[in-house]
Amino acid sequence: MTTSTEAVGARRRPIARLLPGLRWLPIGVGAVIAVVPFLWMLGVSFRSENDLFAHPESLLPQAWTLHGYLGVWEQLPFLRLVLNTVVFAGVTTALTVLLDSLCAYALARIRFRGRTLCFYLVLATLMVPFQVTLIPVFIELFHLGWLNTYQGLIIPRATSAFGIFLLRQAFLSIPPDLDEAARIDGAGHFRIYRQVILPLSKPALATVALLNFMALWNDLLWPLIVTSTPEMRTLPAGLTLFGGTHVTDHAVLLAGATISLLPLAIAFFLAQRYFVAGVATTGLK
Amino acid sequence: MKKTLAVAASAATVLAALTGCSAGAGGSSGPGGSGSGPVKLTVWTGFTGGDRPGYDQIVKDFNASHKNIQVSMTVQPWDTITQKLPSAWLTGSGPDIAAPSSDPNVIAQYVKTNSVLPLTDTGSGSKINVDQIAPALIKEYTYNGKLYAVPANYATLSLYYNKKMFAAAGISAPPSTLAEFEADAKKLTKPGGKQYGLVLADNQTIQMWPILQWLGGGDIVSSNNCSALASPQSQASLKPWVDMVVKDKISPVGLTGAQADSLFSAGKAAMEMNGPWAAPGYKSAGIDLGIAPIPAGADGHSVTLGSTAPLAISAKTKYPQQAQEFLAYWTSKTEQKKFSLTTGFPTLRTDLASDPQLKANETIATFTAQVPDARLYLPKVPQATQVDANGYVPFIGQITRGQSLSAQAAAASKTINSLTGCSS
Amino acid sequence: MSAQTALRAREGAPLSRAREGAEPRRRRRRWQPAWLFMAPSLLILGVFVIYPILVSFWYSLHDWTIGAAVEPFVGLGNYIALFQDPQFYNALGNTVELTIVSVVLLIVLGLALAIGLLKDGPVTKIVRSTFFFPTVVSLTSIGLVWRFLLDPDIGLIGGISHALGLPALDWLQSTTLALPAVIFVDIWKNVGFVMIIFIGGLKAVPGERYEAGRLDGASEWQITRYITLPSIRPTLLFATLILTIQSLQLFDLVYVMTGGGPIFHTDTLVTELFREGFVNYRTGYASAISWVLFALIMLISALQLRIFRYDDVD
Repeated sequence: MTTSTEAVGARRRPIARLLPGLRWLPIGVGAVIAVVPFLWMLGVSFRSENDLFAHPESLLPQAWTLHGYLGVWEQLPFLRLVLNTVVFAGVTTALTVLLDSLCAYALARIRFRGRTLCFYLVLATLMVPFQVTLIPVFIELFHLGWLNTYQGLIIPRATSAFGIFLLRQAFLSIPPDLDEAARIDGAGHFRIYRQVILPLSKPALATVALLNFMALWNDLLWPLIVTSTPEMRTLPAGLTLFGGTHVTDHAVLLAGATISLLPLAIAFFLAQRYFVAGVATTGLK
Repeated sequence: MKKTLAVAASAATVLAALTGCSAGAGGSSGPGGSGSGPVKLTVWTGFTGGDRPGYDQIVKDFNASHKNIQVSMTVQPWDTITQKLPSAWLTGSGPDIAAPSSDPNVIAQYVKTNSVLPLTDTGSGSKINVDQIAPALIKEYTYNGKLYAVPANYATLSLYYNKKMFAAAGISAPPSTLAEFEADAKKLTKPGGKQYGLVLADNQTIQMWPILQWLGGGDIVSSNNCSALASPQSQASLKPWVDMVVKDKISPVGLTGAQADSLFSAGKAAMEMNGPWAAPGYKSAGIDLGIAPIPAGADGHSVTLGSTAPLAISAKTKYPQQAQEFLAYWTSKTEQKKFSLTTGFPTLRTDLASDPQLKANETIATFTAQVPDARLYLPKVPQATQVDANGYVPFIGQITRGQSLSAQAAAASKTINSLTGCSS
Repeated sequence: MSAQTALRAREGAPLSRAREGAEPRRRRRRWQPAWLFMAPSLLILGVFVIYPILVSFWYSLHDWTIGAAVEPFVGLGNYIALFQDPQFYNALGNTVELTIVSVVLLIVLGLALAIGLLKDGPVTKIVRSTFFFPTVVSLTSIGLVWRFLLDPDIGLIGGISHALGLPALDWLQSTTLALPAVIFVDIWKNVGFVMIIFIGGLKAVPGERYEAGRLDGASEWQITRYITLPSIRPTLLFATLILTIQSLQLFDLVYVMTGGGPIFHTDTLVTELFREGFVNYRTGYASAISWVLFALIMLISALQLRIFRYDDVD
């Protein structure tokens, strides 16, 4: 690898040799743009309104204050919200990975009549704007008696067309002779799914899990629609209380935003390798 | 007291669970098989602002004095209520009582879909004291001769001003005439966005521009539901203010209510027209705050905006009697007096208008003094929410961005007339 | 092929039994296990997505308001009204502009970043994570942060402009700047995700292909054009498809940043749908908008599948 690059480099003009170093300039600028809004948000969550208006050019507070966080803490059943969010995002994600992988297995590894139709049907559900199904879904949940319950929050979200699509792509990339071999050994579909396909698709499964968990954790409209009592709210839904028409305390609003992204941010920094490596596989065939 | 209640409540829950007669997860007002426990009523409101403690107090007092009815109030953003309530009430899974919107005109929609209960338990004493509630509000909530909601509150807008800025500009008193109002707004503006004379929000806000129009003799929709925007009086009433925004920059363009509020509370704006809910925040932000009536208009009379949120009962509630009892309690003399004192809101009851204790409070007195001059925004105009969103708000947006007043007024009138069904 | 051998080892014992069972298995072939595998997902999608969207089609043929006593059938009336509504064309125009600009820029920038950050190294990994981080954050939080950040009075950008003696622009209140600002934030949020997807795609390209190209004396551009791009066609398809669908449905970000304003200059099809359906309670009309949007998404996706020759990607 090294030798070949050098060989190619030797034939290049000097300016071309500078190029690889030069690319760090736009990348560096981009990275700064990516990160500054978050630093600023964190800063504002500790600032007083007067400070913010007096020194808008400053990234950090002139004087630190905790009133933004106290405002959130005093008005929200905080631990309950976190618990709900963990239950909602966690259980739903686990179910989604299971159901999506089962469905994707059939679409990728079993030949049957109507397979293409099923696949396009799943793909089509990806294209439905969520807002339009809101009223019919609400009425269905009512008839099921699922409003303001965990099952109402979780089950409609327990499969995702995106996950099926993604896992199908991943399963397709596994050489077919592997399950041929297993089949000769007498393994049924479920065993092939569990013992051949799943172990070989860990990165893709992790990706579906991560992307789903992130989406559910951040979901706002769905929990707001399904739940009606404060004890059932999730964190983002609970935090909307601070965005009233007549009150804007930027510190409180951004403290709320910081709190809601903090758990994910911590998880991200602890497991960034998996996040990034996992998602990297999504584009694979 | 509170503790006893909590213990009683949890004991009741345990009992219900043991006997297997829990109301079910989705039921907000399950009757329960045994029938001996207190009736449970749920209420949805969107009061997330500084006035929230006032409403919480009413619920608390009600629960303490009504052993047989227990009310729990859920506060969520108005947006959320707007999205959920229609389907929730349609299916009967919603709350027994709700404030569907901060916009009183929204009630029309619920009346049309038969989602709200006509209030019949009216009269004196512990009934809903319709005769003691401001007549304009009762009229607003009456459709086809039936009352469908009571006012959850009633506010007027006053002129908030920053005393320090007035002193620095050499102005000794708040404006009392339209001419002074205009002159002061200009005088208090410093170029380059350093200081704004009068902040004017035009979207996601309590309405400010209609007041300016009314002061100058203009209007938005006339009594026959036709647009009045293109009339000469309307254009004349808007012209000076639009010029001041466009040329003198007395206010940034396109502000939301929250943005205008934060400019004033940060000491970047000298005047703002706003309701009583804003006062506590401005005071705690350290503003040297003055509150004055809206200046007198061209005809020598002051005009301001009246604002009220409706409180209505679901047509499908299992407890229409108890729910009306709650509304009666909410609007009762004692509770409304307490509410005004807590929040600084003017009173919605005529029999409290001259209450000495309320009069002694300067903030309440200022807002109360303007009740006779208050007008509602687009009262009883068909499709009022769309007239606002598709007609009036874009119209103000266009003209404050330098578009031609007459052309935009004609265009907005066309939109509004097609919505209201005005034929002329 | 270690997995295979491992499996063999594990499955070694019941080998003979399986062979005995092979005969009846073949006879039972009519029973299709695929449906069992798909049943839970299809049931959920059917009940909570497909059926509701069909219900909404039924709504779109009526003057439907939730709870109304009468819901008169209007046939295609809502659709006819829609195609005569200037607000619809405005929202459609904004949505298309937003989608084209953001998808093209995201693909180009994401690919450029992926190529620039392809080689693993400690710095590269940190930089990749930095770009990826906004993906983790909710659109609601991001919309809120940027709304304040772009505010001329309190925002960092306005503040710095002021400090430098420049006028602070009121981005989100300007009829010309608001849509570009929303598009920028959309790109800012998604570029790391696209980059990571492309890194995955690029890493899967066998090294020999590049070697061969280099030996033939191909230029960097030629290598990108004739080797890299064709090799990552599935990745390109995946990214373009997902980004297009997302952009056409963009709602949260716009709703929080501008609410569709100023004067509808950032109104998208979904914000219009939302306003008609949940503010004006014109459910039938809103359903018609959503069906037009649905059809549009299907059409564009089908086109993309065709352009990228999806079938032989399979």
